[in-house]
Amino acid sequence: MYTNRWEPSTALDFFDSLDVFRDEMERWVEGVRSPEVRGIFDRTLTPAVDVIETRDAFVVNVDVPGVSKKDLNVTLTGTVLSIQGEKKEEEKDDKGRKFFRKETWAGGFRRTLDLPETADPEKVSADLKDGVLTVTVQKREEVKPRLIAVNVN
Amino acid sequence: MEATKSLTAPKRRFVNPACSICEDEGTVMVTVEMPGVRKEDLEIKIEGNELVILGKRPESAPEGTYLLRERRIGDFRKTFTLDESIDHEGVDGKLADGVLALTLKVKAAALPRKIAIR
Repeated sequence: MYTNRWEPSTALDFFDSLDVFRDEMERWVEGVRSPEVRGIFDRTLTPAVDVIETRDAFVVNVDVPGVSKKDLNVTLTGTVLSIQGEKKEEEKDDKGRKFFRKETWAGGFRRTLDLPETADPEKVSADLKDGVLTVTVQKREEVKPRLIAVNVN
Repeated sequence: MEATKSLTAPKRRFVNPACSICEDEGTVMVTVEMPGVRKEDLEIKIEGNELVILGKRPESAPEGTYLLRERRIGDFRKTFTLDESIDHEGVDGKLADGVLALTLKVKAAALPRKIAIR
């Protein structure tokens, strides 16, 4: 576990002290909280996203369990990738139902990601499989690593 | 003694999937969100009175550097303790779009019976 000596903050302001305390608390619970959750007790309301830069593309993976293809809308404007969707509740009447636990959520969501300038807006593909959306944006040709043969005499 | 041993032993990291449980007219519906799990990587078993759901995720992440990393890594695992009123035989599962929908039946003996008044 991460331990360090408690250093009293130099801030005299009450609200500054609160911020310091909250940071300290969040660092404490960092091991157990998932990164997509803001604060300690808040729940996830947007899908978790991974952005991976590979040799010649940017790969964006989004967890969208229960979202069907027709409810997803992926747009790329310049280098700004926008993922919009709607997660629908099962279409059954809830009248006779008694919930014991509800951790899953339904509703609309939107994530906007600014990809690096090296992304090529012309070469993009999206794929939805098993509740994971994968968007692949190729890098511009000129920034891709190229192999240049150098003759050494 | 056993408990302390298991706490210190190196454990595999499992992700606790989000789930919802609801009951409706003699059936218990369990919804578990496991994005990235294929049907063949899903294992559901009943051990004693425990229902264990294990969803393996394929290592599909491409080689590269992460610019943003929010998704949890590891396989999904969820354990439920089944009540005596649940029929262990009538468990039905359906996996679609990374969501597992389980249907469990409540034993007929545990259902409320209407008693006619003469």
